[in-house]
Amino acid sequence: MTSRAVTFSKVEKTYKRPRLLGAAYHTAVQDLSFDIPTGEITGLLGLNGAGKTTIMKLITGLLFPTAGSLRVFGLPPSGQPAKAKVGFLPELPYFPPQVKPGAALAYYGRLSGLSGKDLSLAVEAALERTGLEPHADKRVAEFSKGMLQRLGLAQALLHRPDLLVLDEPVSGLDPLAIHDIRKLLAGLNAEGRTIFLSSHSISEVEKLCGRVLIMVRGRLAKTVARAEWEAAPGGLESIFVEAVK
Amino acid sequence: MKNLLPLTWAVAANSFGESVRHRFFTLFSVFAFTAIYASVLAGVMAVDEEARVLADLGLALMELTALAYVLFQASSSLLKEAETKTIYLVFSRPVPRWIYLAGKMGGVMLTAAFMLAVMSCMHVALLYFRGFSLPAAYGWALAGSFCKLAVITAFAFFVSLFSTSSVSTLVISGILWTLGHFVSETRFMAEHAYGAKAVLLKAVIWLIPNLQLFNARDAAGAAAAIAPSAFLSGAAWILAAYLASLWLLARKEF
Repeated sequence: MTSRAVTFSKVEKTYKRPRLLGAAYHTAVQDLSFDIPTGEITGLLGLNGAGKTTIMKLITGLLFPTAGSLRVFGLPPSGQPAKAKVGFLPELPYFPPQVKPGAALAYYGRLSGLSGKDLSLAVEAALERTGLEPHADKRVAEFSKGMLQRLGLAQALLHRPDLLVLDEPVSGLDPLAIHDIRKLLAGLNAEGRTIFLSSHSISEVEKLCGRVLIMVRGRLAKTVARAEWEAAPGGLESIFVEAVK
Repeated sequence: MKNLLPLTWAVAANSFGESVRHRFFTLFSVFAFTAIYASVLAGVMAVDEEARVLADLGLALMELTALAYVLFQASSSLLKEAETKTIYLVFSRPVPRWIYLAGKMGGVMLTAAFMLAVMSCMHVALLYFRGFSLPAAYGWALAGSFCKLAVITAFAFFVSLFSTSSVSTLVISGILWTLGHFVSETRFMAEHAYGAKAVLLKAVIWLIPNLQLFNARDAAGAAAAIAPSAFLSGAAWILAAYLASLWLLARKEF
């Protein structure tokens, strides 16, 4: 039996926006049930507003579900033990422009409970792994979008998490940067890490993932395995278009 | 449990580093130097009372300069982290929210202490330059200023967690700062009022920290130590503001 990194069971998330009189409610995801098996790369596809980022934030404990139950390695996602096993890359990560990448990573490493020699080794390893070592003396202000994305990935890798949650990891990157990040993610998966990523790029998801979840207006419309889209005439794209129409 | 102190220190040191690296910090430093130096002119005009005017005006300017910067930092710190989404990178890690809040408040309080320390060095140098010795209760006055800044920092963090902008946090905290210097007057009015007005004024006395307790140089003879009860009251205010902030932060989603 495959163990599960993440389990969603009838999860609903409704946002409450306070208004002058009362409040407005918006349900971002509803009746959401799925599993993310350990050791796999699972992709999340959907149009804007389909609920992809909400799912990512629910897994990382930044949002709390309105209904249903959610477990990360069998633990509540907002608790410290679950968070210690997760690395998160948000869309367009921000780092203070005046700091050097090593200093930024050292701060996040300390927040992950690293210190002393372990911390410096983890920072060095993350810089090397993401190809940022040659740029270690530059300030973040001098970084390109691709380098910032690598730094974002480096901070997610610092504490060697079992699960990586990546929100649009290749958004806005040039083809070479996309190729490098794809190679890095494949390497991390080969080490046994579970990866859950969202993307607008169907071709990237197709190349990397073993399984894809397609979200439509806050609901899980379809779960597609690699064998399925490889057998389909138009590949994953035709399945996606059919699902979101 | 053994990791909690380093974790708090990591957040506080980062918050302090961001405060002193901010471009406004340089502007405030220039302003502080100019303002303290300007107190020399006021002192000269005071003729016989030059030493007292130079000491009191300098201390007041130091406190107000630090107040302005500390309020700016406290009101925008959490908001900025949410806007830039750096808070995602913090709260997706095993960082308890109470640790994060304590670290953030601690960082701003460290900034206040640092500003007061640097400005007091400038001030003391000016006093010696004019041929005066260190005024009585100077250290107590600095300690009092720091306590006031610590109380208002904790309160500004609390307001920033439900306020819609950093400007409104600044305004509300500024009002509290002002009211905090009129608690004796409010008490006097409460004692002479009747009915609902008396109840309201008595409630206000409980809700507003008495910042007059920390004015060491206001005391009789202009040189008195701050009573231990004042420090306890300051600590109670900081703790109350911290717990109220934590209550809000624990429920906040990002």
